[in-house]
Amino acid sequence: MKDLKEIATRLKIAKNNVQNLKEKNQGTNAASLGKALKISTELVASVFVGTIIGFLLDSWFDTKPLLTICFFFMGVAAGMLNVFKSAKKMNKKLQKKE
Amino acid sequence: MALNPMHQFEVYKIGPEINLGGVNLSFTNATLFMLISAILISSLLFFGTKKKLLIPSKLQLITEMSYTFVAKMINETAGSSARSFFPFIFTLFMFVLFCNMVGMLPYSFTVTSHIIVTFVLAAVVFIGVTVIGFIKHGIKYLELFVPKGVPLVLLPLIIIIEIISYLSRPVSLSVRLFANMMAGHTMMKVFGGFVISLGLLGGWLPLSFSVALTGLEILVAFLQAYVFAILTCIYLNDALNLHH
Repeated sequence: MKDLKEIATRLKIAKNNVQNLKEKNQGTNAASLGKALKISTELVASVFVGTIIGFLLDSWFDTKPLLTICFFFMGVAAGMLNVFKSAKKMNKKLQKKE
Repeated sequence: MALNPMHQFEVYKIGPEINLGGVNLSFTNATLFMLISAILISSLLFFGTKKKLLIPSKLQLITEMSYTFVAKMINETAGSSARSFFPFIFTLFMFVLFCNMVGMLPYSFTVTSHIIVTFVLAAVVFIGVTVIGFIKHGIKYLELFVPKGVPLVLLPLIIIIEIISYLSRPVSLSVRLFANMMAGHTMMKVFGGFVISLGLLGGWLPLSFSVALTGLEILVAFLQAYVFAILTCIYLNDALNLHH
């Protein structure tokens, strides 16, 4: 039983240390890198998807370059919307922490 | 051939060719490394939970840590209503993580550096989340595409943009994982090639770069698995709690 008590105190100390560390470096570098990678692909993927949809609709309706161009720009808008949305989500999370 | 940085991504079959109804189902190196990852995960979880000690062994500690890590992630991003999806997200996270990590070993093959693998994973998530959304909210799920407070004139345009943004989810999810893994492994191979071609005299600089890149790649391997899982949670949250 003595062993268990010793471990309990050691656990307490370790937990305290972890807590201190967490408070020290909120939002570590790794997490920020993850966010950056996330946002950059979101911007590109929407443009890609928009253009593909435009291209498919074009070959469907036989209106060759028109819809591709329209949907390309809409894809750009959707990409910005995506980035805006995830930035907003990150903001909310930060505010919640504080 | 050894200097070709793309050579490592080649898929070749191991053993006889299997054709089922015109579909090539041969056992390839990609299959082998997926199998290795699955076996590693299963054995980690099996042996980690076999002896349930009060003071955990190292293996048990790793198992419990991975459990709490994913459980915490789900709780923070998707809320308690997503608890029932824990097995799926845990499996997804562990599979991507182990595929990435096994790919970091020399002479191994990185399954997640092929877009078809990551795209199938992302498509499963995308279709699953959409189906869950429709089951949970019925036709009301389409409200996701209609943001509040938009003037009626702009509505058609906004709806199209929202639909494109929704459809871009699986693409961004899969391209991110695939591009990161492929770019990282290609870069490592290129620097490795520099070491050989520069020889004993000038090869030390790219060698040191290679070492640093290996560290970075291990970080990216973990991070990409984490991002993949956390985005699944976020999409799940959108489907479960429509208004947030």
